[in-house]
Amino acid sequence: MKPERVPGRYIREEDLRRLPGVIEYTPTARYSYSAGQALSEFLRGLKDGRILGKLCPSCRRVLVPPRVYCEFCFTPTTEWVEVTGAGRVETAVISYIGVARERLEKPEIIGVIRLDAPGHAENSFDFAGLFHKLCGVTEDDVKSGRVIGMRVKPRWKPVHERVGSILDIECFEPLQPREVV
Amino acid sequence: MVGVKSNIFVKDKVAIVGAGLTLFRRRLLETPRDLAWEASREALSSAGLTLKDIDCIVVGSAPDAFDGIHMKGEYLADGSGGFNKPVVRVFVGGGTGVMVPVVAWWHVASGLCKTVLAVGEEKMSHAYPHPQGVFAYIWDPILERPLGPNLIWIFALEMRRYMHVCNASKEDIALVSVKNKRNALDHPAAQAAAKITVDDVLKSEVLVWPVQLLDISPVSDGAAALVLASESVARRVTDTPVWVEGIGFTLDNTHWYNRDLAYPRYLEYAARMAYKMAGIERPWREIDVAEPYDPFDYKELHHIEGLMLARRCEAPKLLKEGYFDRSGELPTSPGGGLLGVGNPIAAAGVMKVAELFWQLRYEAGARQVKKPVHKAVANAWGDLMQAGTVVVLST
Amino acid sequence: MSLWKKSRVSDVVHVEGRMETERYIYTPGPVGVKVAEALMEGRIMGVKCGNKLYIPAKTYCPDHSEGELVEVKGPWIVKSYTIIYEDMYGAKLDKPVVIALVGTEEAHGGLIHYVEVEPDKVKVGLKVEPVFRPKEERRGLITDVMFFKPVEHS
Repeated sequence: MKPERVPGRYIREEDLRRLPGVIEYTPTARYSYSAGQALSEFLRGLKDGRILGKLCPSCRRVLVPPRVYCEFCFTPTTEWVEVTGAGRVETAVISYIGVARERLEKPEIIGVIRLDAPGHAENSFDFAGLFHKLCGVTEDDVKSGRVIGMRVKPRWKPVHERVGSILDIECFEPLQPREVV
Repeated sequence: MVGVKSNIFVKDKVAIVGAGLTLFRRRLLETPRDLAWEASREALSSAGLTLKDIDCIVVGSAPDAFDGIHMKGEYLADGSGGFNKPVVRVFVGGGTGVMVPVVAWWHVASGLCKTVLAVGEEKMSHAYPHPQGVFAYIWDPILERPLGPNLIWIFALEMRRYMHVCNASKEDIALVSVKNKRNALDHPAAQAAAKITVDDVLKSEVLVWPVQLLDISPVSDGAAALVLASESVARRVTDTPVWVEGIGFTLDNTHWYNRDLAYPRYLEYAARMAYKMAGIERPWREIDVAEPYDPFDYKELHHIEGLMLARRCEAPKLLKEGYFDRSGELPTSPGGGLLGVGNPIAAAGVMKVAELFWQLRYEAGARQVKKPVHKAVANAWGDLMQAGTVVVLST
Repeated sequence: MSLWKKSRVSDVVHVEGRMETERYIYTPGPVGVKVAEALMEGRIMGVKCGNKLYIPAKTYCPDHSEGELVEVKGPWIVKSYTIIYEDMYGAKLDKPVVIALVGTEEAHGGLIHYVEVEPDKVKVGLKVEPVFRPKEERRGLITDVMFFKPVEHS
């Protein structure tokens, strides 16, 4: 039977620490990322409590998050368009772990939200969307699937707490019955 | 006869003539170079060749940040035999594993090299406290990182969408994990082989619902290698060369929350590219055995549909009927896949291609599938739901 | 078309971040362990491939065959060197530091290490010898050799 030989020596962490010649190193790379032209404007819009998108002159889609080019047409995008922020939940999950796989005190519900935006057909494969936390939604809503398709809108932080970051939106919450955005 | 059936003109038909791999384990003593060397040696000796017979080298390894060595491709090069030879390093995230034979293919098909040694290696155990920390900066720093995401969130979001659109339950999907871990019991390099039940999967630790601990492939160290050769060399070296009939690779954008996650469109494009080259018009009928990339259990079903081996949302139903078992109509992951054997990111895809290599030559021993096999397909996938790489093999 | 674009750096938003991995712990490999043990005993190893000797010791030879670990006894000489006056951030060092590629006549390659010598006294071909740390301080790392220093003429 192939493979006939499988070389390699398994070693446990505690054994590794006792061997000679083991090297430890801590990298010290820090970064200052430029948001670029389009996202800088988008972040400024968030500070003002607005969700901005960019219009592609070729296909007439409004792209959220905005970019300086439309990747479908490969043309530069032109005007800024504000979207209401209302949308539908595409998918949502419940997270019990954090960035470094530590257990969270309180589970978080995150989702992908398909935003109401001009240019995209109702059920197209591609859409204007955002990735954010969901609130006002229970774990059972997620597990049963009730949350998918739910109409939601952004809940903004108070004006004085907004700094120009994606976290200026605290979360997306379900629309109240008969609420229109 | 060269370049007749295919839509692409090639100077030389390409075949895989040898394969080898190291153990896959959570932590191996060997350095990354040692791993590349061990795998290369196994592949060369299985082909009956030495390093002198190799013209070019292709090295595949995923982020430098796992091994903690910058310019990892150059570091690994001499372990892979890239000493005073043409060397190319390939990296498309998890798609690297199948991108390695794809790139090696065009080295030979163009006539540039008569023989290529293609190596995939990964050493994830160097990163502390957990390699997951490295994944933390795959996210967009402006819009995604402030939310403190864990990579499993993306998979969970995709899995939840797939479950909703295809009306698949967690029980249906967990069967993939059960099947692959059981298949891996016969694989000598396997790290996570086990006899588990759907119940075990559902009782395992919930990380990001719906993803639970036994839905995920393990973190691993390991390396795997292939030897590819042109037709004249292949026919001299072995009686059963495994021809690389088609290759495909496609990249979508990083705006993964701007598209429907229930279907891997990028994979379908890559698969079409490969099938067209191989002259395959009805993959669900013509492919005998497949190794779809399975870092998570639902991903195998996702990729089976993307590879057009089943209709959309049909895969979970077929899985329940045993269609994808080793004794079934279209066995998938007969070697155990990533869920069973292990997931050293770049080496895993090469391991899958190596498995098909042995299956098509009837050398897989206890893992050999019941039905006769002539055509096979393997795929890998990577980055933020972006990269699809496909290779079609036949004898 | 792009009148809305900003041209001053301060108008573009910047977000801080860092690489998230806390630290790396590198495994030495099966041959690396033997080399480390030899260093702890005060011996520097090389690898013999056929009739060629290579420093530093590797698991395999350039033709991919397995090499044989042998001790490199010397005599050591400086094959090449450089003198460093500033640190990584451009600040001037108190005392210039001499780094050299140190090897032997018969071996290919060499070790990169410090040489404790006045900058104006170092030259290619200078005979040097390794100075090890006290035995109890050795860890099996290249720094078990503190530096090389010129051989005293007796």
